[in-house]
Parts: sequence; structure tokens; C-alpha cells
Amino acid sequence: MIWLALTLLAPFGAGLAALALRRVPEAIALTGAALGLAGAIALFAGVAGGAEVTATLPFLPDLPIRLVGSPLTATLALVVAAVAAMVLTYAAGYMARDPERPRFFGTMLMFVAAMQLLVLSGDWITLLAAWEMIGFASYLLIGFWHGREGVPGAATRAFLYTRTADLGLYLAAFLLIGIAGTSEISATLSTTGTPALIAGLLLLFAAMGKSAQVPMQDWLMRAMAGPTPVSALLHSATLVAAGAILLIRTAPMLPGGALLAIGIVGGATAVVTGLMALAATDLKRLLAASTASQYGLMLIAVGAGVPIAALLHLIAHAAIKSALFLGAGVFQHDRESTDLDTLAGAGRARPGIFAGFALAALALAGLPPLAAFYSKDAILAAALNSISAAWLLPLALAGSVLTGAYMGRALKVLWTGAAETPRDPVPLMAVGMGVLVALAATLGLVFKPLEAMLGAHLAEPGWVVPVMGLSVGLAGLALGWLLAPARLLGPLLAPARNGFPLAGGMDALVVRPALALARRCDRLDMWIIRRVVLGGIVAGAQSLSRRIERAEAGLLALVNAVGQLNLSLGQISLRTDRDTIDRAIFGLVDRTIALGSRARRLQSGFIHREMALTVAGIALVTGVLLAAPLYF
Amino acid sequence: MEMGRDLALLAPELTLAAAAMLMIVAEMFRAARLVLAIGLAGLTAATVMTLPMPSVDATVFGGTYRIDLISGWAKLILLPGTALSLLLVRAEIAGRPREGSVQSLVVLVTLGALMLSGAGDMMVVVIGVVLTGLGSFALVAWPRDDAATEAAMKYLVFGAVTGSVMIYGLTFWFGGTGSTLFSGLGQLQGQTLVTIAGLIAIIVGLGYKGSLVPFHFWAPDAYQGAPVSIAAYLSVITKAAAFFAFAQVLRDLPRDGGWPLALAVIAAATMTYGYLAALVQTNLVRLIAYSSVAQSGYFLMGIVALGASGFAVPGILVFAAAYVAMNLGAFAVVLLAGRDLDDLEGFGRTHPWLGAAMVVFLLSLTGIPPLFGFVGKFYLLSAAVEAGFLWLAIIGILNSVLALGVYLRLVVPMYRELRPGGTQGRGNPLTLAVVLVVLVATLFMGLAAGLLPGP
Repeated sequence: MIWLALTLLAPFGAGLAALALRRVPEAIALTGAALGLAGAIALFAGVAGGAEVTATLPFLPDLPIRLVGSPLTATLALVVAAVAAMVLTYAAGYMARDPERPRFFGTMLMFVAAMQLLVLSGDWITLLAAWEMIGFASYLLIGFWHGREGVPGAATRAFLYTRTADLGLYLAAFLLIGIAGTSEISATLSTTGTPALIAGLLLLFAAMGKSAQVPMQDWLMRAMAGPTPVSALLHSATLVAAGAILLIRTAPMLPGGALLAIGIVGGATAVVTGLMALAATDLKRLLAASTASQYGLMLIAVGAGVPIAALLHLIAHAAIKSALFLGAGVFQHDRESTDLDTLAGAGRARPGIFAGFALAALALAGLPPLAAFYSKDAILAAALNSISAAWLLPLALAGSVLTGAYMGRALKVLWTGAAETPRDPVPLMAVGMGVLVALAATLGLVFKPLEAMLGAHLAEPGWVVPVMGLSVGLAGLALGWLLAPARLLGPLLAPARNGFPLAGGMDALVVRPALALARRCDRLDMWIIRRVVLGGIVAGAQSLSRRIERAEAGLLALVNAVGQLNLSLGQISLRTDRDTIDRAIFGLVDRTIALGSRARRLQSGFIHREMALTVAGIALVTGVLLAAPLYF
Repeated sequence: MEMGRDLALLAPELTLAAAAMLMIVAEMFRAARLVLAIGLAGLTAATVMTLPMPSVDATVFGGTYRIDLISGWAKLILLPGTALSLLLVRAEIAGRPREGSVQSLVVLVTLGALMLSGAGDMMVVVIGVVLTGLGSFALVAWPRDDAATEAAMKYLVFGAVTGSVMIYGLTFWFGGTGSTLFSGLGQLQGQTLVTIAGLIAIIVGLGYKGSLVPFHFWAPDAYQGAPVSIAAYLSVITKAAAFFAFAQVLRDLPRDGGWPLALAVIAAATMTYGYLAALVQTNLVRLIAYSSVAQSGYFLMGIVALGASGFAVPGILVFAAAYVAMNLGAFAVVLLAGRDLDDLEGFGRTHPWLGAAMVVFLLSLTGIPPLFGFVGKFYLLSAAVEAGFLWLAIIGILNSVLALGVYLRLVVPMYRELRPGGTQGRGNPLTLAVVLVVLVATLFMGLAAGLLPGP
């Protein structure tokens, strides 16, 4: 209970402190992150035996706020806390010269706190709240350098895309709460039948937005506009992970139909975004596309019915991807760009950082004994043994080959080319990255005990799957190192570089029509007047306006009369103060009369048109009411 | 004896009426501070008198006026809301001529709003609509310039037409039931045409007050022409009262008349039109005006579910409380920042706390958990789903995505670099106090929602 609170409140409190004090933000941030990590470790140790810690706070009647520390949630919390601590260490070096550090560290910590809330939430309402908070915090972080060109647009786009997908989460949550009668996540997971299928598909929609699955992958590439530590955090254990975490947590409920859809979406993403990564001309965009691709592989595992494999890959990927981003940030620091042409040879100039980057890249490609070797094998095994193996296995293998290929390409670009002497040592950045690389290399060792703790047992790998995994990884690396993307992709290069405009067509499907509709709505008055009213309603409108004038005159006369009556009453009671009374009590009457005369001069000429619309509205309501018996 | 009981139950209303009269007397002596003090004291006293009453369920004066859950909470929401509005009025027009008249009119309009919220009889609804209407016209016209006059005129004409349609249509109900009491509406079972005529009357009359599409045309003009504090007041108090009145009228009407469907269509049109129109406004007041039109659509979801879901009445009450807090807050920030979207440029940088407060209000208006607005919308959406209007709930959620687009148009420029020559400076302490109060409510009432009526 206390560790649960510390995990959540340490980053939250530190975030508030950093924003409020506006000095020594690094020290506050690192303290907060360290305390949060300590809390997460203690929580993890506490529930390692399989116990569960829950905290319940009163909120809406019958819908309390629940926080749950189970082996699964505690593991995820630990991953979030560890990655956050390392990324913040790195950021202390990376952001050293930025004048807005308090805002940066404050928002980062808030973001981490919101993510912990999401991971530990035990009811749907808290989950929704946390889901929205991480969306908003990531908007603030992606838009951190909002003065730069294109940045506010990228932040807004990321927010709108993920928000659109949130619709799925809201509907699924309402549905599950409605059926189970409680908002407790674990209790709603016993839902079966059609509702479970609908809820599963809605959850998939929500996860697709957050985890940047096809066709909603576009925002993730653009989100690179934020500072590199932000990307490292977003892509590894937090924002993007939220979608996969959602599906992993609700996996027990998902029926076969939903699983198949999840697997196929994941597989398609693994391949499509893998191609985009291979075609990318910018290192950070390459890594971003790779993130979407790896989450696609995780969705394949969920779809194959082995969420534990997805969880292991999520953990391995969190360490690997944050390390890769941090490495990319160092190169960016040297060359002031993340363009692959500019970065040529950047790795040779900093052999230490390059070694770390390469280790992480090889880990992602799935070379033993690095972390993702085990998790990727688990995913391949899951796909192989699944009833939908015919769909899932080829997609998973293609995703793995592409992983090797784009990592091989990145390594080649960074290594070949003119080296130049680096400008300055980067101790803090190296420490943050080094720890993550070490984790990326060794995490595979803890996977066995972790499985035992989570009460899940993966099948023994045998020899087929490891050989298959290793050979596709090596083949990919070799292809990426040896062949230029133009040769490798052929005609696919241009569409892949543009992010597969067809697949990334959210703009055309949602954003542009919404804006066009909005503009049209604004012109509605004019439009209706020209096209509709002119037809035949003009006469009606005119007679109506005459009638309005009469009504107005009548009302004025009435008001006048009331005013006169009241005035005479006033004269009787307070004859001495007539003028004041007139002004004060009957200021209302006075004003209304003055108003009438003034408005006559004004001749706005629009009211009758709007009244015509009102009459049309009344007619519509009447129509619906008259037609209503037909429905009942 | 009966009379004595009635008067005791009416103590808050009578107190407020007395305060309004005293305010007018004080205005005769041009003592604007005294006017304000009397107003605040009257509102506070009336609120305190209401506190023990929410559990009462009674009617007074032969069933024409109801003292029940809705009217009780209406007082607890509208009276503090009016007090905050009075402070905003004072902050905006202190020292200008007729300040006290404006204050006293505000209190009188609130009295009309209370009439609407407790209406148990057609005539009380009519009195409520007229009392809120006449005062509002004068309030909008207060600046005495062309824009205000035109806005007030438009408001008046709309009020005159919709008011007469309403009175005309209500006579059908009177004819059908032989009584003006809403409690007799159950007898309308089977008389389809009579029911429809009266319904149209109510929808037009109260829809105008609550600015539902297509009876909303006056709202953006009136808010733009009026002083910002008056726009804030009108956008929350009279609107919330309209929906309380809706709830009082329609809860007695059999649900088989098709009115839930008609209202659901209006609700969907209102929220969609409101947000779409807000999306392209450049004037800040008009933008918030259209956004409050859209919020009316959410209110209406609760009305649609009346009698079919336990969430309906709590939803309307909780959302009303949240809406009063967050919309007053947004308008208060506009009062400090300026009436144009450009005035917000860099506002969040020069005024970090006010900027943060504005973000909270806007997020709450969007319905982001755990803020107050979310709880209200959550109840209303649940009510719509339970009543079988899943499609309406989906439109509601989709519109909240649109809402975010609308509100981000405010948030983004707030944190842009300040242009040279932009405004700086401290706000009026009264306005700042109002912002603080509604900010606390918006932030924490969501977590304390257990205090409010639940299903």
C-alpha cells in the first residue's frame, strides 16, 4: 500500500515541486525518479510471491477508485520507473543548456506519474483518467519546443489521432461497466459472448491509436519533433506502450474473433512500418517506425493467445528502444541533425556510444543472448502454435527480417563515413544510456523467473524456433548492411518513405472533412438563405418578419402599459423621488423602450432569416414527433 | 396553517426577492457597494436556508411550485453561481453608471431562474421565462452601444416569438387535462396531437432559453454584445434553469409520445452544430458562446433519458454544477485576457496561473477525467445508454473529440511566444478570486462527486 503510493506520488510530487520551485529541476527530478523506482522495486518485491495489494478510495457512488499491485502491474510499474529514471538522468545532460528546464522536468515527471497511474489502475474510470492524462502530457512534451516550425502542428496531430482512438476505450469501458455492473477491471474480464467481442474490438481500436498501429501510425513519425528524451520515454515504456498494456491486461477476456483481428492488425503493422523504417531518411523517424513495428509484433503475440510473450517483448523493447533513442540523441547532439546523410560516420567519432547503440540494435534484431532474442522467440513460437498460424507466422517472420534490416542499415550509416572529433564529453548522457544498454543485454536472464512469478509457462523453445528467429535476424542484418534501401525496396521505396499515404490517410478521412464541414456550418445561414430560402420561403419569411414587427409593437405597447402602471404606483408611494425611481426600478422598462426606437434605426435585417430557420426547426421537431408512433 | 408551511418552504425564494427589492432601494441612493453587499448577503442567506432542504419533497401553493430534489439542488447551484457572477459584474463595470441596476437585475433574473427550476405548473414556467427574459434583455443592452442594442433587440424578438408560441401551445395541454398542473400530464395518454402541441410549446420556449439548435441564434450575438460578466451569467444561470424546467415538465409526461427521440435529435444537432461553429470563430466570446450551445446538447441527453434511467436527474444536476463552475471560469479568464482570440496570444506565459486555470476549465468542458465536467458527462452518457440511446452517446463522445479541437485553439496560442506590445499586467482581485473559487470546484468536486446526488 505504502509502496503503491510512493511509486505514484514520488514522481507526481517531484513534478509539482519542479514546476513550483523553478530551480534545481534536475536534482528534484532525479530524486523523484529514484524514490519512484525504489517504490516500484519494493512493490515488485512485495507481490513477487503472488500476493496482491489493492487500495480503494471513495469516488463516485459505487464506483470507487481502485489501485492494484499485482505481479503483472508491479512488473510494468517497475519497467516504467526504471526507464524513466535512466531517461531523466540522460535528460539532465541533454537539456543542460535549455532555459525552460523546470517546465521540461516538471512535465516529464507528471507524465511518468500518469503512466504509473495507468499501469496500476484497478478500475476503468481511473484507467480512463490516466489514459487522458498521458495523452495530454505527451501533447505538452511533443510540443515542448513550440516556438519551432512544425512543432505545434505535430503535437496537435499526435493528440487528435490518439484522442480519436480514445473513443474506443470510452465505449468499451461503458460497455463493460454496464454489463458487469462494476468498474473493477478484473471483475469485468469475465464478460463473455458478443459483448466481449465488441468490447475487444473497441479496445483494439483504442490500442491502435496509442500504439500507432496501421492505419493510425502517422502521428508517431511526426511526434519526433519533441526533445529526444521525450521520444525515448514515449516510445519505450509509456505512451505507445499503453495500447499494448491495455490489450495484455484485458487478454483473458478477448474471444477468438477479437484475437484474430488483433493479430492481423499487429502483423500488418509489423510489416508496413518495418518497410517505412527501412525507407526512412532520418534516424529518429527510423526508430519511430521501428517502435510501431515492434508493437505490431507484440500484438501478434496477444492475437496468438500468448500475452506473456507480448509482455516479455514489451519489457525487452522498453530497455532497447530507450537506449537506441538516447544514442541517437548523442549523435544529434554532435551533428545538430538526425538526418541519416548528415549522421554518416557519427558512430565512428564516438566509439563508446556507438558500441552501446550497436549492442541495443543487435538485441532488437534478436541475436542471442541479448534480451529480445528470448522475447522474439516467444512471439514466433506463439505465432507458430496459434490456430491462425497461417496468418500470423509469415507476418511475424517478415517483421523480424525487417527489424534486422533497418537496424543493419542504421548501423552501417553510423559507422561508414567521415569521423570527426566529438565536441565535448557527455557523462550524464552516457550513464543513462549505459544502464539501459546493460539492461537490454541482460534482461533475458530474468525472463524465466518472471514467467514463474506471473504464473505463466511458455512452451520449451526446442530448436526450430530459435534457429528460425536467429536466421531471420541475421539475414535481415546482412540485407540491411549490404544492400541500399532503394535496391531492397524497389518500387515500394517512395510510398514507404511517404508513410504509405493510403494507409496514413487519416487526414483525408477525418481531419479535412471535419474542417470542411465546420466551415460549411459557419456559412450555413448564408447558404440556406441563398439556396433554400430564395426558393419559396422568402415570401413566408417576409410575412413572418411583418408579423414579428407587429408582435414587437404589441409587446412594446404592453411593456409600456405595464411601465406606466408601475410608474403611477411609484408616483403614489414616492412622489418626491420620481426621477430616481424611474431610473432605478423601471430602468428595465426604460431600456426596453429606448431599445425599440434604436433598433428601428438599426435595421439589422437578419432576424427574420434566423426566425425562418427557427420555424424550420419547429417543423422538423413536429415531423419527428408525428412520425414517432411509427417507431414504437 | 397550510399557508405557514408553504411560506416556510419558500424561505430561500422570499429572502432572495426581499434582497432584490432592497438592492433596488439602495440603488436609488446610488450606493453601488451597498447594492452588492445586500445581493451577496441575500444569496448567501438563501443558500444557507436551502442547505437542510435537499431531502424535502413537497409542493406549495396547490402543487404549482415544487420543493424537491431538482429545485433544491438548483438553488444550491444557481445561488452561489449568481454570487460569483455579481463579483464579476462588479469587477467589470465598477464605478460606471447604473452599476447597481445591473446587480439588482441579475438577482431578479436569478429569482426567475428559481421559478423555472421549481415549476410544477404551466403558468409558473411562463412566469419564469418572462421574468428571466425581461431582465436579460436589459442586461444585454446595458452598454448602450449599437452592438449591444442590436443584440438585445434580437434577443427580445426571439424571446417574444418563442414565448408566444410557448403560451399558445401550452393552452392545448390545459385543454387536454383541464388543469395547468404538470402532475396531471399523465392524463394525456392517448391524446397524441394535444401532447405534441404542448411538447412543441415547451421545446420552443425552453429550447430558446437553453439555446438549443435551432433556437440558439440569439446567443452568440447577445453574449458578444453584452458585457463579458453578463454573458458569463446568462450562459450559465438562465441556461441551467431552462434544463431544470425541462426536467420538471417532462418527468410527468408518458415516455411513449416519441418526445425522447425528438429531443435526442435536437441534442445531437445542438452539440454537433455548436462545436462545428465554434471551430471557425475568431472572436473569443463568440467561440465560448457556440461552445456553450454545444454544452446544451449534453444537458439535453439527461432530459432524453428522464424516467428511463436513474442517471438522468443526477446527471443534469451534477453537470449543471460543473458547467456553472467551468463556464464561469472560462468567461472570467476572458474578462481578464480580452475578447479576441489574438488577445490570448502568450497569455499563458505572462499569467502562468491563470493560463493553467484556463486549461483546466477547457479540459473540464471537454470532459477529461478526473475533472468535474467529466463526472457530469459520465452520468449523462450513462443515462443516454441506459435509456437505449447508444447512438446519442456515441455522438456525444465523438463530439468531445471535436470539442478538444475547439479548445486546443485556445490553449495553443496561450503558450506561444508573446508578441511585442502584448498585454501584461495584473487582473482585478475580484475576478481572480472568482477564478480561484471555480478552479477549486472544477479540480476537486470531480473527486468529491460522492457528495452530490447519485443514481
